Amino acid sequence: MAKIERAQKLFLDSLKEKFQGEDPEAVNTAFYRFGGLAQSPRKQEFIKASKAVEMQRGISMYEPVRCHLGGIPLGQRQLMTYQVSQSGVFVEGDDLHFVNNSAMQQFWDDIRRTVIVGMDLAHQTLQKRLGKEVTPETINEYLHVLNHAMPGAAVVQEHMVETHPGVVDDCYVKVFTGDDAIADDIEPQFLLNIDKLFPADQGASLKAAIGKGLWQAIHIPTIVSRTCDGGTTSRWSAMQIGMSYIGAYRMCAGEAAVADLSYAAKHAGVIQMASILPARRARGPNEPGGIKFGLFSDIIQANRKYPKDPARASLEVVGAGTMLFDQIWLGSYMSGGVGFTQYATAAYTDNILDEYTYYGMDYVKDKYGVDWANPSPGDRVKASQEVVNDLATEVTLNAMEQYEQFPTLMEDHFGGSQRAGVIAAASGLTCSIGTGNSNAGLNGWYLSMLLHKEGWSRLGFFGYDLQDQCGSANSLAIRPDEGLIGELRGPNYPNYAMNVGHQGEYAAIVGGAHYGRGDAFCYDPRVAVCFADPSLKFDFAEPRREFAKGAIREFSPAGERSLIIPAR
Amino acid sequence: MAYTPQYGPGTSTVAENRRKQMNPNNKLEKVRDVTDEDVVLILGHRAPGAAYPTAHPPLAEAGEPDCPIRKIVTPTEGAKAGDRVRYIQFADSMFNAPSQPYQRTYSYSYRFRGIDPGTLSGRQIVECRERDLEAYSKFLLETEMFDPARCSVRGATVHGHSLRLAEDGMMFDMLQRCLLTGDGNVKYVKNQIGEPLDREVNVGKPMDEGWLKAHSTIFHSLVGVPYRDDQEYVEYVQRIHSLRTKYGFMPKE
Repeated sequence: MAKIERAQKLFLDSLKEKFQGEDPEAVNTAFYRFGGLAQSPRKQEFIKASKAVEMQRGISMYEPVRCHLGGIPLGQRQLMTYQVSQSGVFVEGDDLHFVNNSAMQQFWDDIRRTVIVGMDLAHQTLQKRLGKEVTPETINEYLHVLNHAMPGAAVVQEHMVETHPGVVDDCYVKVFTGDDAIADDIEPQFLLNIDKLFPADQGASLKAAIGKGLWQAIHIPTIVSRTCDGGTTSRWSAMQIGMSYIGAYRMCAGEAAVADLSYAAKHAGVIQMASILPARRARGPNEPGGIKFGLFSDIIQANRKYPKDPARASLEVVGAGTMLFDQIWLGSYMSGGVGFTQYATAAYTDNILDEYTYYGMDYVKDKYGVDWANPSPGDRVKASQEVVNDLATEVTLNAMEQYEQFPTLMEDHFGGSQRAGVIAAASGLTCSIGTGNSNAGLNGWYLSMLLHKEGWSRLGFFGYDLQDQCGSANSLAIRPDEGLIGELRGPNYPNYAMNVGHQGEYAAIVGGAHYGRGDAFCYDPRVAVCFADPSLKFDFAEPRREFAKGAIREFSPAGERSLIIPAR
Repeated sequence: MAYTPQYGPGTSTVAENRRKQMNPNNKLEKVRDVTDEDVVLILGHRAPGAAYPTAHPPLAEAGEPDCPIRKIVTPTEGAKAGDRVRYIQFADSMFNAPSQPYQRTYSYSYRFRGIDPGTLSGRQIVECRERDLEAYSKFLLETEMFDPARCSVRGATVHGHSLRLAEDGMMFDMLQRCLLTGDGNVKYVKNQIGEPLDREVNVGKPMDEGWLKAHSTIFHSLVGVPYRDDQEYVEYVQRIHSLRTKYGFMPKE
């Protein structure tokens, strides 16, 4: 427990902006003088908008003065703004609810509407079973046909209805391979060029892992996956793939070999972004609860953009993960309501988790000589219990002390679940980045939770009683009925399925282990390449910045419907 | 060998205060008087003087089944009478409120019978039979486990435990259920779920900072005892975590 000094407190700028004119270290302040909702421009906008809605539909709506606590509206304390961490953008809390934030919606849309489908099985069917010739020319022609068909256009039959291209403009297919010779023959518009998209060492590693196979990165229309569900993605894509093969290779539409192509496109050659969930969760594939943490860390691309800053890369996973798993998955799919946003945003606003995590980086460098800014498997500290205990303890104690020393910081994270998630995340990230071992990171998380609970005699809401107090025992168990390596865990892992403030952070802890080692991917190299695509609506290298753009209404999402609805 | 509870580790005053509250053999100091009627008013479950609503007939009239557990467990007075189950919930400021959520749960479990506590970060609730609840509530309000400014009885809208203190030293309460009045006493003007009371309920003067620090059960590096300074406490938690980890990894060891 040898505390180190960090002169720079990353959260101070936010505190000064949020609590203007107040000493961030003061214990006392004034309440009940802020005018309730009048202090918030966004709440005022809500009132005005609601009045217009009420006039139009004749049904009452947003009435906070009447309906909140029988006449006491929000805003008896200061309603704070938030800086989206490391973006420099201050936003209102309301703008970080996914309903009010188009970037958040698009983030999830872009994942749900994606599948990766191998081409090799189909090519073998075409060549060996049907005796068709497959050449670079036929592949490029097929990709033209597929990019015509995937958004919803006809390729074989007469008198077909088709989709309006302006409504499905976000739908397309690109391909990638680890084989340079094959890549050279693909039209550049269709190629995810690994050499150009990734740093050289990451690119070489990805190409070696992917090998000679040719893979399609498919993004069906946002509007389709929204109208249907994640399980639709592989079905929609498989249908269009099948029709495109038929069209491009002049096959008989009813011949038995089509079944082989369908089987490959729907099952044998498909990489879903998320596995199907058990009946009690009632969700198909490509829904948030089935995303493995390792795969999620490959979706987020910050490690590609910031390969020398594994902390930053991990923090981007935290932001993206808490938004998806807390706000959308647990907060709406599984629970409903609006409360979960407050838990989740704590992990990606005001540079608080960032400060705690970089403290951990400084500590692991100072004490163990881990050069965290130069990721490498060679200089990680061995993941022993003693090391994990030391790292997690120091990061936890430091974080608790920061909350204590800066009462405005505590007031910022006014909920115990917020603080617990953030403190444990910093502890887990320090352990995983420092050791290069995701399970060591998870183990550090659970020690942090126990220390936190005993120190302040409180933790999070009821659910933390279970998950975080039995986590020590399952963090290193890898028998399938008891535990898994972190990469294979996910939101539906036993004990992880009910608690806000955990899943995004777990994903980041898993990712951090690999970012700390300098790995090019965490779980699946194909996923890492797929989401490096600059044509995607959402920039997966900068999820927090994108969320900030959504909050200030500068993000342009897909799913445009103005072409097919009356002008307002 | 008979088991002797140790009530937790630690060498600090915080650790010692925690043990004192938990240990039922330790008599907690009575700091203030709150009348039975005032307790009922703050709780807000029934009107003072009204009969206790019941959930079932008195056990003596109910004709209990032949159950070995019922022979072992002596019912509380509330259970005997068939009272309904009601609650009291506290919010405790992190600025040295004399009790804190888990501390309450641990202490209640040692000191009270027939209870169902729930522990969160900003509040701690305990549910039990109504007449038992009133007795427990009186104890919790009158003893050194309570401070009128830093602890608050709140059934809903508990926001405040982690906020800075108001200028008068009171913990934030959106509903302002209790107020520090001109005579230096804290008075409840609303019951625990925020319904206005017909008359004020006086729960006494806030304790001074010195007393609060001396009686604190929360570590706090700015206003109290730093957690880091109680090495025994930290090492104890590390030990528990290490043992659990190793058991999960290799149960044979």
